[in-house]
Amino acid sequence: MLKGIHQQLDPQESPAFFIQGPKPFSRLMFFCTLSLVMMAVDARFDYLSQVRQWFSTALHPLEVLASAPNEWGRNINTYFTSHNQLIQDNFKLKQQSLIDNAALQRLATVDAENAHLRTLLAGDAPIIPQATLGEVLHMGRDPFSNIITLNRGSRHHITPGQAVVDEQGVVGQITRVYTFTSEVTLITDKKLSIPIQIERNQLRAIAFGEGKRNTLDIPYLPTSVDIKVGDKLVTSGIDGVYPAGLAVAVVTQIKQSQDSPFAKIISRPIAGVNNHKHVLILKVPESPAINQSSENRQVLPRNNAQHLDQSVVEVLQKNNAAVDPHPATETPVLDAPSSEPGATTLPDSTLTPAAPEHP
Amino acid sequence: MKPVKFSIFLFTMLAGLVFQLYPWSDTGVIIRPDFLLVIMIYWVLQAPYHCNIGWVWFAGLLVDLSTGSLLGQHALTFAITAFLGLIYQRRLVLFNRWQLYLYVIFLFGVQRGLILLLKLFAGSELPDWTYALPVASDLILWQCMIIWFGELTRPKKL
Repeated sequence: MLKGIHQQLDPQESPAFFIQGPKPFSRLMFFCTLSLVMMAVDARFDYLSQVRQWFSTALHPLEVLASAPNEWGRNINTYFTSHNQLIQDNFKLKQQSLIDNAALQRLATVDAENAHLRTLLAGDAPIIPQATLGEVLHMGRDPFSNIITLNRGSRHHITPGQAVVDEQGVVGQITRVYTFTSEVTLITDKKLSIPIQIERNQLRAIAFGEGKRNTLDIPYLPTSVDIKVGDKLVTSGIDGVYPAGLAVAVVTQIKQSQDSPFAKIISRPIAGVNNHKHVLILKVPESPAINQSSENRQVLPRNNAQHLDQSVVEVLQKNNAAVDPHPATETPVLDAPSSEPGATTLPDSTLTPAAPEHP
Repeated sequence: MKPVKFSIFLFTMLAGLVFQLYPWSDTGVIIRPDFLLVIMIYWVLQAPYHCNIGWVWFAGLLVDLSTGSLLGQHALTFAITAFLGLIYQRRLVLFNRWQLYLYVIFLFGVQRGLILLLKLFAGSELPDWTYALPVASDLILWQCMIIWFGELTRPKKL
């Protein structure tokens, strides 16, 4: 059947035997080696991050092009939002703002009081984070990692390590920054751990992400530990990454087995880790405690009521009993005030909306 | 059959990249085909004089950059898959449709398997069965490529 086939072949089309250059196998070996070397270098050293930056910047126009249809769809949707919907939203927002304002008024008093007490005790000034508003571009293209991409990058002074929160709690941490975008690793990712505190009894621990199961695990706590289902976990703030007092998760399950000295504690993230459009990127200013520790000066721990003089705590509790069930939280809590009337909110001044740079 | 223009090859590669960069939603990510892989494998078999292992490797590198995964992971698996296609290229163009489908499914499966292996080595967890779904959507995209750019060039019957 194939007799004489060589006579009919077009020189362009076939004698690939001759125009293929190096043999496929040697090519394969070359490129395999190259990619293995790249993987090793990328995993162990930091050389390739610059290359990644360049490529990512070069790919940015394509990325914009690719997300254009989505953007148009959303714009059209916004355009046709019904009158009724707008009125409802407006009403809701007004209500929310009233509640927020009430909480803010309390915050001012409590802040002043707190600052006063801290000066009395020669403690450090409370740390108030700066916040940048970011928009979620996409939910990660890799099914293996829990990553979301934000539309803020090194252009907007984002640095790796910053905490990312939404209106309910901690979402994750910036792990890679490109020129126009940045990657956030969610707290449910296996690689991320977060220092937490039980809100009820101030017990400190570390929570680890569990990967695709969308839960957090708190290992290495003894079976006798005082944790109940429904306990709220907040950031403890001792790592210098997450400001103290942000909601992280709620304990959903506690398993105690006879053969393990540790309790298995599972919790569910409070923040809508997988479903939000806008998030806040927080920057914790350099802690004075860290700077001064080199001078061997004794500094008060930044956070805990246990370290304050017991009598002061009592006074605090008396003063604030009606106001705040947790007198010692000093940084703003980004809780939705409607869900928890006692929580304070982020002061307006610390929030720098990105509106001017974002058309 | 006229040889394929190089510009067409480049254009499809670019289009594949744009689709790769599209912000897919939750279910979209699960069933999304590997656009660049399918397009590159098609050209490796259809026009080996344009698309060699190096190009496929480069496409894999672009996927690595767009997913933010370890640089070289997808590049490695893409290159191996292209090689598996290329060594049988002369036989594949003689296959009938169903044989070709089977082989192509095998190729896409190999790529996903290799990525899974690399991720498992790196300490990721085993994904659930939906991980295999994109092979089906890959096949649909493959059929689209055949419709748009023609069946694999086979020598004329004598």
